[in-house]
Amino acid sequence: MSGQVVFGAVSTRETLNVVQADLFPFAEELHVNLSAYFTIILQHSRVSDSDKKFLRNGVQWLNEEASAMYEKLYTKLTLNERQSVLKNIAQESWGESWIETVLTYTMEAILSDKIYGVNQQEQAHKWLAFDMGLPRPTKALL
Amino acid sequence: MKYDVCIVGSGAGGSPIAYELSNAGYNVVVLEKGKNYTESDFSKDELAVSRREKFTPLLKDEKHIIYDREKDGSVKRYDGAEYSWSFWNGSMVGGSSNLMSGYFHRMKPDDFRLLSTYGKIEGANVVDWAISYEELEPYYEKVERVVGVSGVVAKHKFAQARSTPTFPFPALEVNVVTEWFDASCKELGFESIQTPRAVLPKSALGRNGCSYSNFCGSYGCATGAKGSARAALLQKCSAKIITEAFVYRLESDSSKITKVHYYDKDLKSQTIEAKIFVLSAQAIESSRLLLNSKNKFFPQGMANSSGEVGKNLIFSAGGSGQGRFEFENLSQKQQEGLMQPGLFFNRSLQDWYDYEEDSKRYKGGTIDFLFEHANVISRATREFYNEDGEIIWGEELKQKIHKSLTTSRVLTFEVFNDWLPTDECFVSIEEQSKDKFGVSVGAINLSGHPQDLEVGRYLAKKAVKVLEEMGAKDVSMSISASPPPNLVAGGCRFGDDAKKSVLDKNCKVHDLENLYVTDASFMPTGGSVPYTWTIYANSFRVADVIKKCLARS
Repeated sequence: MSGQVVFGAVSTRETLNVVQADLFPFAEELHVNLSAYFTIILQHSRVSDSDKKFLRNGVQWLNEEASAMYEKLYTKLTLNERQSVLKNIAQESWGESWIETVLTYTMEAILSDKIYGVNQQEQAHKWLAFDMGLPRPTKALL
Repeated sequence: MKYDVCIVGSGAGGSPIAYELSNAGYNVVVLEKGKNYTESDFSKDELAVSRREKFTPLLKDEKHIIYDREKDGSVKRYDGAEYSWSFWNGSMVGGSSNLMSGYFHRMKPDDFRLLSTYGKIEGANVVDWAISYEELEPYYEKVERVVGVSGVVAKHKFAQARSTPTFPFPALEVNVVTEWFDASCKELGFESIQTPRAVLPKSALGRNGCSYSNFCGSYGCATGAKGSARAALLQKCSAKIITEAFVYRLESDSSKITKVHYYDKDLKSQTIEAKIFVLSAQAIESSRLLLNSKNKFFPQGMANSSGEVGKNLIFSAGGSGQGRFEFENLSQKQQEGLMQPGLFFNRSLQDWYDYEEDSKRYKGGTIDFLFEHANVISRATREFYNEDGEIIWGEELKQKIHKSLTTSRVLTFEVFNDWLPTDECFVSIEEQSKDKFGVSVGAINLSGHPQDLEVGRYLAKKAVKVLEEMGAKDVSMSISASPPPNLVAGGCRFGDDAKKSVLDKNCKVHDLENLYVTDASFMPTGGSVPYTWTIYANSFRVADVIKKCLARS
């Protein structure tokens, strides 16, 4: 079965927004715009096409797993159901890698310099008592 | 116009030539593939520098093909772009010396005579160097003065002879945890060495002193304190630097290079003529350029009548390890000292540079100790797994990141020992794969010698003992045959026999009258220290040779 056909209407970003919140809900308390950061990543000149494709394919595969378990798209599940889906895919090689990838970009977002526009308050730096290196960047690399 | 000297590559191998020859009044041009950056461009932006690798080419544009030899002798092919396997370091004026940590150790006299001292090793192409430590020593000293090396000269059983009693610049400030390290070494009977650094502690040589930014290695230096080829040499001379110039072919007659061909930033082909040419494009790329420059006089590749170009590629063998210091085992004062940012660690061990085991004498190596890199995103991503090796998320991950990053600090170590040269580790050309310029890419054929791992493990176990004695938790080590892309040498080894080497003792190619190779390609063995100081020193030595040559002409 082709995930592309069944879930062709699924928005990668919409699903990623929910997954991010499920994987690291603390990001919301830090006032980080994770959705905007994933938009940056999916368009970034220095993120490889294969890495972007893996992010998108992971959304499709996640929804296939959600459908197999609950016959619904991931975004239509309850929090507990979504956590079950994540625990299931974490047992698969691709799923573990995909969760790690989403978490990695989440850490990039919450610990990015505010020049990237998604982390204006830089609260995670305070949370981790981390002094940013000087000099700070004056231009984002996109 | 015809230049006196044309240098391909502006890193540690090319810049001393540019500095010496232009300051001597010669007309020098440097062709650099990357862009020029100044101190003001070197922010500590982890996303740009460490995660998006701002200073290296995109692999989809420029890649290598890697052939990795497995233990069973089988060889697996990797497309560098597909596997995100990069051997690029710093494509910019000054090369990767901009991004080095600047842990500066001299090679030792026995490193120059490995074959004579330790004998033949089965499966390895070990030879003595064409020069001795004594011949290079004045140039090591010159690097101390001109590039700037700071530290305290350590007296220990493997300390090499010096022509001066001290370093010209005093040691950088260090973290109080070095006192724990020194005490533990004393307890174990090890000799703690203060690591010399190519970093100026105070303003000198027309450069600012270190700002203790906490982000040294992997980052460009915003003060100019780090002795990069750019800050220390190219900014102090009048050599003309042409940036975004990719040299794709050397042209020759039967005895001389006549011109180099390069693509400019608009991908237009240009040429440069000069009396003398110097190749210093980094070990892999220098071999690639020579092999890609076949002509009727040199059908196997430029300077390759011996068939030795690309052969005996080496890296620095060894690996790394770490231990964690946790607040719960420390007093308040110790906790504060541990977490003090910016201050260096700067401690090394060389007690086993030469050692015996099971009645056999081995060439050992160096262990450098340093705090885990300050990159906070990288540190957070290392917390994604629990003790059972399962990936975690949510509140569990949040707690783990917070605890690890705010109530502990990791001290790491790096082991440097010889990567023995073998027939199976070499550079060749992948004719079918082209880069964005339409030029065949380099193929890196990888293979490690079993002794590399044996020695690495021996040294790492000593480092583990120190960490355990210091009271570190979660102590671990990892020694592997994976090649560090930033510590690569060989491919154009120098020697007296033109049939078995590419370069003569002065790093001039045997086959041609006016071509020198001065990056790490010349090294037939690598010693058991990071290469940069030796590359600088050798390049200053060759600069003197070229000066005499030009004076005669």
